[in-house]
Amino acid sequence: MLLRGLTWLVLFQLLGTALNVLFLSMLPGPIIGMLLLFAFLLLRGEVGEPLSEAAGGLLRYLPLLLVPPAVGVMVYAEQIVADFWALAGALGLSLLVSLLFAGWLMQKLIDRQARRGEQS
Amino acid sequence: MSPPWQAAMQAVIHHPLFGVGITLAVYQLALAAYERTRWVFLQPVLVSMTVLIGVLLAAGLSYQEYRDSTFLLSVLLGPTTVALAVPLFLNLKRIRQLFWPTLITLLLAGLLATVLGVALAWAFGAERMMLMTLAPKSVTSPIAMLVAEQIGGVAALAAVFVLITGVLGAICGPELLRGIGVRHPAAQGMALGITAHAVGTARALQEGEESGAFAALAMSLMGVLTAVLLPLAVALIA
Repeated sequence: MLLRGLTWLVLFQLLGTALNVLFLSMLPGPIIGMLLLFAFLLLRGEVGEPLSEAAGGLLRYLPLLLVPPAVGVMVYAEQIVADFWALAGALGLSLLVSLLFAGWLMQKLIDRQARRGEQS
Repeated sequence: MSPPWQAAMQAVIHHPLFGVGITLAVYQLALAAYERTRWVFLQPVLVSMTVLIGVLLAAGLSYQEYRDSTFLLSVLLGPTTVALAVPLFLNLKRIRQLFWPTLITLLLAGLLATVLGVALAWAFGAERMMLMTLAPKSVTSPIAMLVAEQIGGVAALAAVFVLITGVLGAICGPELLRGIGVRHPAAQGMALGITAHAVGTARALQEGEESGAFAALAMSLMGVLTAVLLPLAVALIA
């Protein structure tokens, strides 16, 4: 079961890679694969047992898979130090503003929808 | 150390499985530490990264060699990114009622989070490579890394920016949101999912079921939108 789901995932990834080379050079292969799988799920209307098992298994270990690429920071220590304050300021401030904006906007829109619902 | 010991040590350090071995070991230790303490700053990826850099420096291994010896792990990142379509599909089924509020918030707030980050870093004088790395900071790591690489940034740095953003958002997000009068669980979840991706989603789940579901949805939609639109936008502007 697990292997069948894994085969599907690899198949969609390879399909994505082929499309990336053929037409869509601005989108990475795995992203195209994800969009294709999503479209496939929408058409099918449900997630099959093998696929959900394989996806769940892989996603559970996603943080582990991200460790080796993250270690690559050691190569860029100098650039980080050079731009440290610009980076810290940009990350912190933009997070703060957009987080509050997102919450506020969603709350307003929900309130408005609720009021509309009462009127009609 | 006598020569045979040294030879054995060298053989172990340069074995093609050494990278996988230490990564697995360190990650499990970091995970255990996080589960024991439940302290947000102890994100397993962040802790493992720091410890592994220390180990590599101590053993005198280059990042290139470590990278080659962890091929077994990194090759799985592609199929795992594809697998993100499954939670996206499952979450999408939940929002029928709040479809328009969700969509509008996602588009406007997602745009703001991305543009503001890049604009601020540019105003503070960061280089172009850093700007491109910063752009996908609000998205879940595998997507952010792919996108950063695609638009001329650095995948490794993107992963770190993503983590820092997520941890910050998860720590102070809920308090701040309540402070400005955002009470609806869906609104709190959306805000956390859009800006603080997976870490924010975990936090939203602690707040409640509905909040968690919206955070997960916001995270997956934000990821897909960024993956599709950001490379296009960069190609158009540059």
